[in-house]
Amino acid sequence: MERGYWIKSKPVYTSLVWHEKATSHLVLAAGIGGMAALKLFQQMHPAQPVTVLYAKYAQMEVDYSATLKKIVPDNLHVFKFEEDLLTELKSIMPHMRMGLRIYVAGSEGFIWDVAKVVKPFGVENDHIMKELTDTLARSVYCVHCKAITRNVTTNIVQCCGCERMLFVRDHFSRNLGAYMGLMVDAESPGELPAIEEIYP
Amino acid sequence: MALNFKQETFRDDYTYKNSEEAIKRFPFPFPEDQYMYSVNIEPHTKGKPGSVYEFPFDVDEHYVAECKDRAITLEQDAGRYQALPHMMDAQWDFLELTMESLANDYPEHFTLTKNGSSWTWENRPLGIHDTFTFGDSSTLPREPLDYMGRQVQGDFVLLDQRDETLYADAGMVTCQADWSLAFNVGMSWREWHGPVPRATELGVMDRALKFLLNLQLANPVRRLNWTMTVNPRLDTSPENYPYWGGDRNKVNAENVSDLIHLRVELQSLFRLPRSNAIVFSIRCYLISLKDIATYPRWAKRLYRVQKTMHPDLIEYKGMTKFHPLVVEWLSQFEDGADLGIGTQPE
Repeated sequence: MERGYWIKSKPVYTSLVWHEKATSHLVLAAGIGGMAALKLFQQMHPAQPVTVLYAKYAQMEVDYSATLKKIVPDNLHVFKFEEDLLTELKSIMPHMRMGLRIYVAGSEGFIWDVAKVVKPFGVENDHIMKELTDTLARSVYCVHCKAITRNVTTNIVQCCGCERMLFVRDHFSRNLGAYMGLMVDAESPGELPAIEEIYP
Repeated sequence: MALNFKQETFRDDYTYKNSEEAIKRFPFPFPEDQYMYSVNIEPHTKGKPGSVYEFPFDVDEHYVAECKDRAITLEQDAGRYQALPHMMDAQWDFLELTMESLANDYPEHFTLTKNGSSWTWENRPLGIHDTFTFGDSSTLPREPLDYMGRQVQGDFVLLDQRDETLYADAGMVTCQADWSLAFNVGMSWREWHGPVPRATELGVMDRALKFLLNLQLANPVRRLNWTMTVNPRLDTSPENYPYWGGDRNKVNAENVSDLIHLRVELQSLFRLPRSNAIVFSIRCYLISLKDIATYPRWAKRLYRVQKTMHPDLIEYKGMTKFHPLVVEWLSQFEDGADLGIGTQPE
């Protein structure tokens, strides 16, 4: 935090914009990310086929499914939770064709969960358009036990795997979709700096 | 040159020690009285006989003990070896480069015999004798990088070149100064250098990248990097930080010259012929302050460099706790003499 809020290895997330040359579009949104999906349709309604997967309950319980239903009546799939959406995504990916463009809006954890699911199908993360909504919370990879603790809004967090207290380094891995967590009191056991909420 | 391989440890009882010859050839990294990051890259050309630059891959008296230490680390954490699937060509390139170099430069210890694509590799210090088909992983006990990475001193990262940058897409890393391959694998150049303070602002990383993208086959390059470590420990990884971090509290005015080791990385980079990837070799040399001080020129130089270090760098290199003790201990050697430019011991 010394150098402010900027994290050099954090990917830059932009607003979603349609790729007009795509042969089909797949929009994946969670929670408030539903608003980003709605904004996409305000830009235009593409001529190519569009599929939308929406999970209602992300970090905050905001539900845009009613509005989305009016806009994409045929190809909208609404889920309760992100995990259900990801399961469906895995099952539809084998049917997708070349020229597909993917758009994701949600928390950073959700965005990189999607990237992980589609990667085995040859979709590189550079080809996924990403918008960060919902929360600035981070996923934290414990470098000691390799467990990933999700939705971390603080500078220090207890690992869900080994229960060590981890300091969250400002270093992001796209491969893991997470920030590095390192035992905070290894040099002086039990001495913890103040725990602050810095990424609400 | 007959190498006398030592029995020694880099953990627990730390019996690692440098011989007089090893001290004399130590790659001391400070040619001037001040230090700041720079693109200090030079051609990795053949150096003087006996120097660490004599051959592309230096094998020294610590070879057998280092390979043993690496095997222990890999046994405890298989994640220290990582290779993304598209890196198999680069892995074979790596195997060829290292086998040919070692066999050519240290024929008394290593022999490579080629019969078409059937190769036989003998590594006498480690007692390895294998015949395999070049290009066919199923004929080797492990993947090529995993196999040869265990038989050469130093850490290795294979960098894939695409989209005008370099990606760390494979590697074997067991003697690192606090960075994690399991975390960094797949990262682009800019991403993995994100945490280095001041370097990005100085433009050092962008210039180094530009240079490396044009690295040519048969013209490898090198640079030195350094930090300090408590105890002669190779595995100062973030993974095992809970086990070595506490050692920083054990340093005091009495033991500082025994415990604190200058840790120098000889980093060299080689373009690979088939894959167009780059081998990034990071060879770690350790020397105690006490052994450095056997050469007063080095002790004075080190004192001046440390005294004028930027606090951000002291913090980044993890030296904050013991740094004042180091400077204090070294100060006894300062006599104000003009040392000139250069890293030589005398």
